[in-house]
Amino acid sequence: MNSIITAFAKGIEKSGVKPSMICVPSDIPFEPEVVDFLGVDFFHTTRGRAIPFGTGLKLGNPALKVVPFIGGMMTLGGNHFVHGSRRNMELLVICINNFVYKKIGGQSVPKAAPAFSPYSTFDEPFNIPHLGNSCGALYTARWTALHIDELANSIAEALNKRGMSMIEILAPGPNYYTDIEHIESNVLNFYYENSVIKNNEDPRNVEITPEKKIVVGKFTDKERPTFLETYNTQLGSVLGDKFIPYGFVPPQNKSGGRNGGD
Amino acid sequence: METLRTSKVQEAHPEDPSKIGCVHPMEDVLRMDRIPHIWCPGCGIGLAVTAFSAALERANIDLDKMSIVSGIGCTGRVAGYVKLDSFHTTHGRAIAFATGIKVANPKIKVVVFSGDGDLIAIGGNHFIHAARRNIDMLVICVNNFIYAMTGGQVAPTTPLAAYATTCPFGCVEPPFNIPYIADSSGAVYVARWTTLHIRRLSNSIIEALNKKGFSVIEVISPCAQYYSRINKLGDGLDMMKFYHDNSEIRHGEDTKNLDIGFQKKIIVGKFVDRERPTYTERYNEWLSELKGAKDESG
Amino acid sequence: MKTDPRAVKTGVYYIDGDVAAGLGALAAGCKFIGGYPITPSTEAAEAFARVAPSAGAMFIQMEDEIGSIASIIGAVWAGVKSMTITSGPGYSLMMENIGFGAMLETPFVLLNIQRAGPSTGVPTKTGQADMMQSRWGSHGDYELIAIAPDSPQEMFDYTIKAFNLAERYRCPVMIMSDECVGHMTEKVVIPRAEEIEIEPRRFYTGLPNEYLPFKPDADLIPKMAKAGDGYNLYITGLIHDERGYPVKNEEFKSAYVRRLVDKIRLNKDKIIEIKEDGTSDAEVIVVSYGISSRVAVRGIERAREKGIKVGNLRLVTVWPFPDEKICALAKTIKAFVVPEINYGQIVYEVDRCSHGKANVVLVPHGGSGVHNPDDIFDAIVYAAKQERKIEGVIEYKTKLEKMIFGGGNKLKE
Repeated sequence: MNSIITAFAKGIEKSGVKPSMICVPSDIPFEPEVVDFLGVDFFHTTRGRAIPFGTGLKLGNPALKVVPFIGGMMTLGGNHFVHGSRRNMELLVICINNFVYKKIGGQSVPKAAPAFSPYSTFDEPFNIPHLGNSCGALYTARWTALHIDELANSIAEALNKRGMSMIEILAPGPNYYTDIEHIESNVLNFYYENSVIKNNEDPRNVEITPEKKIVVGKFTDKERPTFLETYNTQLGSVLGDKFIPYGFVPPQNKSGGRNGGD
Repeated sequence: METLRTSKVQEAHPEDPSKIGCVHPMEDVLRMDRIPHIWCPGCGIGLAVTAFSAALERANIDLDKMSIVSGIGCTGRVAGYVKLDSFHTTHGRAIAFATGIKVANPKIKVVVFSGDGDLIAIGGNHFIHAARRNIDMLVICVNNFIYAMTGGQVAPTTPLAAYATTCPFGCVEPPFNIPYIADSSGAVYVARWTTLHIRRLSNSIIEALNKKGFSVIEVISPCAQYYSRINKLGDGLDMMKFYHDNSEIRHGEDTKNLDIGFQKKIIVGKFVDRERPTYTERYNEWLSELKGAKDESG
Repeated sequence: MKTDPRAVKTGVYYIDGDVAAGLGALAAGCKFIGGYPITPSTEAAEAFARVAPSAGAMFIQMEDEIGSIASIIGAVWAGVKSMTITSGPGYSLMMENIGFGAMLETPFVLLNIQRAGPSTGVPTKTGQADMMQSRWGSHGDYELIAIAPDSPQEMFDYTIKAFNLAERYRCPVMIMSDECVGHMTEKVVIPRAEEIEIEPRRFYTGLPNEYLPFKPDADLIPKMAKAGDGYNLYITGLIHDERGYPVKNEEFKSAYVRRLVDKIRLNKDKIIEIKEDGTSDAEVIVVSYGISSRVAVRGIERAREKGIKVGNLRLVTVWPFPDEKICALAKTIKAFVVPEINYGQIVYEVDRCSHGKANVVLVPHGGSGVHNPDDIFDAIVYAAKQERKIEGVIEYKTKLEKMIFGGGNKLKE
């Protein structure tokens, strides 16, 4: 997780977006020191609901940049992810996946899956970039915790993208995953040996299976009008003068916040 | 050996003219004590149910071992009119219920018959996960592009710029392409027909019933009371004429090309038909491997 | 402060309660509603969707109720007033996030147009069986405010009041209406914008490095911030300290929950609103809320014509419950009569607060309709006749119940 935070911080810096305008609704808790370090506004939401929370934040104040972090591999929050992608809500969804695949190269069967694993050892995981892309996300990418620089670049690109972006990050999970027999040592070493960078690969082909290496890279980068753009255009064309374009910025509250009281 | 529930129509021997016409062909699969049904004049759900009943007659499946699960909405009422083990469940959870039935008793053939709002909006999560897991069930999704039962609100399948009560100035969200999302989640059989293509729909249902795995059949249906009326598209018959003039059969088409625009061409056909191990098959395989490993280690 | 004139659709209308609530939300300064259609509440969302674009507000139909409530909490933290609209089944889905909102002291309004339940129930008919759920529905300890309007005009007025209470006390406010009031069409007068007072959000205006988001003022309520102002917010549903950081310290945990609960309990007198008439010298008092209070008026009139001294106590705010008022009245009267469209919810609060000093008679109704005023009249007559104190809540057998159940349900051996 630490390397992800480093990459996130680097990405924010590279993108040129002010950290105070970035909101992070997340169902993964961050340490307070990390939030201080990043300089963002952090919301530890109920499980799986980071994306609709982020939708509310974005529509409440369209000037904000919202970066929902989701864990849990789309179990609780799957619905919100597909609908957010369809709407092309301006969010950068960071999906932390600490699922290390169980069988590599047909070796011996690992121990039984840990309790509460959303994917027991016989379940297949989602091909999350493909799911996001087929529902309408504009920018899909996958990196591992090893690829810090590429991840930072991706985050920087995606932060400046207008529309729904999704970056899946494979990261070392809690202890029980490292109990798996053949992945005893260094998980990062495992990523190093078993991942291959293939930018612009068709997301259909990037599923994580034991038969092939893990494909990482930036897969798609499309353009499409965002939700607010479509909303304003459509309603403007129907209502004409009566319509007040939505881009509501709450009255600056004479605050002494870092943005000053503009 | 269990015998299949025999049909009254089969009992009425075709060569005996006095027997023809005294039994309605769908009587043994419909709950006749609940007919007439609640659907509006011009609604397409009745046609979908007819196609389904016809498929049941011809599919050679033990109907006593079949369950039908519906959610909430106009299409959600289907379970109440079909004479199988019927479950009218809570909104969006039809697939979750069906998963429970199937996993608890894999011998039961499960059909989920519900609408676009119920299955894809609130039920979206269950839809994509059941497809991913490849739970053996058939999902028939009747898509009328609107939330009809509650009065005509926008649905995730409402085309861009179409009108509905909660988007009174036009829909601003691009709709879902149901075959694409089913395909990308891992469904093994994906097809789309309209209520005009009754016989092809029936044949599709029979194929899907005999297939193991998560199958999805989308049925485009008119909603005369809300979608057509609010968007000034005429009545049910006008919509059927539209389907006649604007639908094109393209089997095997790539599912990402199947978007439906407002009053635009509708591509129908059978798009995906592949094999993948089902959830119960993989579970059994894992269990036996585990037992094997345990036996080895002693 | 005054509301935005563009948001007030001044005029005299003939509309239903749902629509009035939607217009009231806009007039109160609500800028965002995330909702999901559910009968019988959809008209409120539709009304808001129609008028929002001309006032710079937005309605978005989310994919489900959980998405709706999560999005409105996010919108509040982005700095705008927001609301969601639902009914029974959706209300149950929202419970986790209502608790989340209460924990974070997030001001939002939730309009619940109650319908006959449980489960899918009868979507198009009325009920009042979510009252206890509105108070205790989410897990853990928290307090919130619930209001029960009884007419379309009140739906307009009290939606504005609900927003004001939410901002004032930084808590979720439930508007516990019902299908009858929601679908009832009556005259609604929307005044001019200058005549509507709205409570502004109390924003923190100090320096970021001194900002303690959960440090309360003297009235136990902290000032609020919003995302994007450079305060480096850390907002979590875990029990947190004044900076917002999660704590594990035992004393702190209970102190935090204590404050969440106290900020409403200690300010009860300012929050509770009841409408009473004839209670000072009554022998029987009818305690009711929502549509049942309108039906009860007829029963009370008939009883008064017969010479019984009947008082009318209408709970406008149902939560927090007016414990002291009920306790004081119990000492002076023979009985309380509580008509409600359920099999006993608020009546148990009345019983609890009367401490055995007065009889408590429940006039139940299973839902899908409202009481017959004659049943309430009969119950008042019955209550007035009782000379001795009867333990517990007495369930009065209404004519409807007698018709359906005969002598009532009995267990067969």
